[in-house]
Amino acid sequence: MIRLRRRTLEVRETRLAWVLMTPTLALLAVMALGPLVATIWESLFSHDLRLPWLGRTYIGLGNYTEAASDARFRQALAHTVGFTVTTVAIEFVLGLLLALMLDALLRFRGLARVLVLLPWALPTVVAALIWRLMFADQGAPAAGLLDRIVAGSSRVDWLAGPQSAWVPIVLAEVWKTTPFMALLLLAGLQGIDRTLDEAARLDGASALQRFRHITLPLLKPAILVALIFRTLDALRVFDLVFVLTGGGPGTSTEVISMYAFTSLLQNLRFGYGSALSVIVFVIGFSLALGYVRMLEPVREAR
Amino acid sequence: MRSSRTRPATLSHLCWFPLTALAVCALACGPAPEVLTFSGSVLGVEGAIVRRQIERFAMLHPELPVDVRATPDSADARHQLYVQWLNAWSPQPDVLQLDVIWTPEFAAAGWILPLDQFAPDTDDFFPATIAANRWQGRLFAMPWLVDVGMLYWRTDLLSKPPATFDELTTSVRSQLSRGTVSQGLVWQGARYEGLVCVFLEYLTAFGGQILDDDGAVVVDSPEAVRALTSMRQSIADGVVPRSVLTWQEEQTRFAFQNGNALFLRNWPYAASLMNEKDAVVRNRFAVASMPSSGGRPAAALGGAQLAINARSRHAASAWRLIEYLTAPAQLIERAHATGQFPARPSLYAADMLADALPVPPDDARRIIDKAIPRPVTPVYTELSGELQIHLHRALTDQERPDEALTVAASQLRSILRRARLDGGRH
Amino acid sequence: MTALIKRVAMTALLVLWALPLCWMVLASLRPESALYDTTATATAGFGVDHYRALFAERRFWQPMLNSIVVASCTTLLALVVAVPCAYAMARLQFRGKRALMAVVLAISTFPQVSIVPSLFLILRSLGLIDTIPGLVLPYLTFATPLAVWLMAGFFRELPADLEEAARLDGASRLRAAVEVALPLAAPAVATTAILTFLYAWNEFLFALSFTVSPDRQTVPVAIALLQGRYQVPWGQILAAAVTASVPVAVVVLAFQRRIVKGLTTGAVKG
Repeated sequence: MIRLRRRTLEVRETRLAWVLMTPTLALLAVMALGPLVATIWESLFSHDLRLPWLGRTYIGLGNYTEAASDARFRQALAHTVGFTVTTVAIEFVLGLLLALMLDALLRFRGLARVLVLLPWALPTVVAALIWRLMFADQGAPAAGLLDRIVAGSSRVDWLAGPQSAWVPIVLAEVWKTTPFMALLLLAGLQGIDRTLDEAARLDGASALQRFRHITLPLLKPAILVALIFRTLDALRVFDLVFVLTGGGPGTSTEVISMYAFTSLLQNLRFGYGSALSVIVFVIGFSLALGYVRMLEPVREAR
Repeated sequence: MRSSRTRPATLSHLCWFPLTALAVCALACGPAPEVLTFSGSVLGVEGAIVRRQIERFAMLHPELPVDVRATPDSADARHQLYVQWLNAWSPQPDVLQLDVIWTPEFAAAGWILPLDQFAPDTDDFFPATIAANRWQGRLFAMPWLVDVGMLYWRTDLLSKPPATFDELTTSVRSQLSRGTVSQGLVWQGARYEGLVCVFLEYLTAFGGQILDDDGAVVVDSPEAVRALTSMRQSIADGVVPRSVLTWQEEQTRFAFQNGNALFLRNWPYAASLMNEKDAVVRNRFAVASMPSSGGRPAAALGGAQLAINARSRHAASAWRLIEYLTAPAQLIERAHATGQFPARPSLYAADMLADALPVPPDDARRIIDKAIPRPVTPVYTELSGELQIHLHRALTDQERPDEALTVAASQLRSILRRARLDGGRH
Repeated sequence: MTALIKRVAMTALLVLWALPLCWMVLASLRPESALYDTTATATAGFGVDHYRALFAERRFWQPMLNSIVVASCTTLLALVVAVPCAYAMARLQFRGKRALMAVVLAISTFPQVSIVPSLFLILRSLGLIDTIPGLVLPYLTFATPLAVWLMAGFFRELPADLEEAARLDGASRLRAAVEVALPLAAPAVATTAILTFLYAWNEFLFALSFTVSPDRQTVPVAIALLQGRYQVPWGQILAAAVTASVPVAVVVLAFQRRIVKGLTTGAVKG
């Protein structure tokens, strides 16, 4: 009798759960999973919207083999990976510093919080435009300042050089998202038990030793979470590059999301562009899986 | 106890929330207003005159308000915007101002309406312009304004324009040795669309073609090689300064306008600017068609045409606007305001354009009669891209002219083959 | 001593971070020719010409309105759909819960560009390109998982005793949820609403891909596409940037504690 009652309750709970979840699941199935599958399907076709008389022909993995031999794609991939590694590394170090400082700060916490949140909350487009203007030409603030530091390193037009154009991009990204990194790390810091640290200090351990052997290991889960978010976001970067340099000069700052977008909505090669998007997805997804797997044992240990 | 009193409140809140959300969203999507939209060059002097004409049209046809939508002046940016709008099946703008090379592309993609249903009077327009706007036998855009490549020459130093390239070279050499000018002939040699126009003029002058009448690629013919070699040789000989290889229209204009160059190849717009007060060559220049050398003299065809969006909801009204803007009265008014050449030959004969154009109407007419369109094919942009690369490499001595054209020709053939346009007739 | 160094370093870092923002506001008030003049005390006038041109000539209020409508609709609908789902995932027991949760979270890791092609073709055939619903629907794709994640984190932290008490009184699970948990969730709902609104306000790629006419653009797209005839109108662009940032700044100033709490609780619990 009691067992039957418990079963009924379980069934009722399950049913309620599904009722509550159905709108969300249906929405996501239709607006996210469906289109993703459709894009994967589309990537198996040759479909050029500018040449409708060619129709839509099945070519299997033809688009993917084209991408593999496409120099522009390989270049975009290299750009994206380089950008991700650089910005995540810088943001991690700066973010950790910022988090440590915010942790120690007692007064002006509100002001600090606002100053730190504003760049993060701004539209990426705005951040990109500010930094673009600061490097826009020789008279611009950032360009002028840098010119004075790296004294007269010929009047560089930052945005016109294939390598130098990356400088404002990286700076803008770091400026905008380090706050987010700092916040995540700060939350992790504030979750650490202080007594261990106190005990070590009384024992005579230096600040650096305490940091390396106590703080850092305990911070690991928060660090991993922050790294996952930032890496995935950096791989998918689009807004910032589109507005700051448009992928230019030429294609020297083009990232893979931009190349996919250009193929799709400018060259109207929907089949090929879909294949490029799928590749972006696969890369991001595998990384996310990898990170999660790294996170699991750590969370189990907690 | 507490739950029964708060129950009505929370439940009613719950019910209203999603309903309000949906209502707000529903209100937010209003129906699109019924208006005829024109899109094209609407900045500066051109903008002022086209707006005035459209306003008059709106007064004559009050049943539908007309709106003007601005587009960037840069051809590439405008092209990109059009592609985006038309590919999204947007019903607006209804009337689009197109560059002459976009018509076959948009026509083949099904983005603009064939105009034969409106029975346009094609006889009163320059044949080259009508031919450039036909795709697979049907007319897809009405010619509006004509641009042609012209040879500007110094009337104070020469008595008549050269008829052949040899004559041109001789004039240049003699003037250079006398020191009256520092440069001979300047044209647009940077790696962009302008270079293809210049090449087309040389090509036709030597009797060659890019695509023959059946649509096959013939840009690797002996005539073409001779034309490209001539271009390259003239740079090597100093008849054409080496700096042209990075120049576009404006740089070449300055070179002639400041009195440095003896000859200039450019579009008509430059003439109005050269008639201004501080120009060194004011009243000291005239225009003619480019010389020839075994073929026929040619002027690359550019200019603006008007087309109707295939998904426009007001096709008939759109046609009326096009008819109005391309009517003789409006074309003459526009010529007076902007100096742009009308697309109707009859206007040149009747002396109505007397002071309107920056050059004598007879000269203009003679040059336009020699106009030659660039290859009329939907994949022209890609073809041009490939051709530009190899033409420029040949001119900068990175490839021999015959090699460059052979490679270019095979690239062009594979582009046409991939687009299944290699057997096409139009 | 080290405390002082830390304080100085902190201040320096914060000032450095705030500099670009201050410069943006100052520069938007200067005439085009003096744009790069970093000496704020220069007498060459400050003026609101750029703002006037922005609103009078370029009708910048149109994109502002579009953004407000789209962001509001997205937020409302996302909450309506996500709150029940989050409750179910946090509180209720059923098979496949972990898998479903993982799927919902996984969706927020999709690169946006990977669903653009099919969404474009679908929206185009439904005639929804260039419309408000045509933007709200794609936005929900990413706004909903975000909202679910935030609310689930909150519900998990909420102690279950009050609901238990209500159920012992005879209320059904659903009624307990609605009458007890939901009112308590109000602050978390507010936080989620703020973060969702911010996301929708700042979104760029979908707006760029799914709107084509100038009067349907949202603020980020309108700013990015502000082009002049031959030169880039930097003054007006800065004015537009400041205008676009004002709502964001207001929200951040008013709700900074909430925002931080929302971001960090969800993240750490993962």
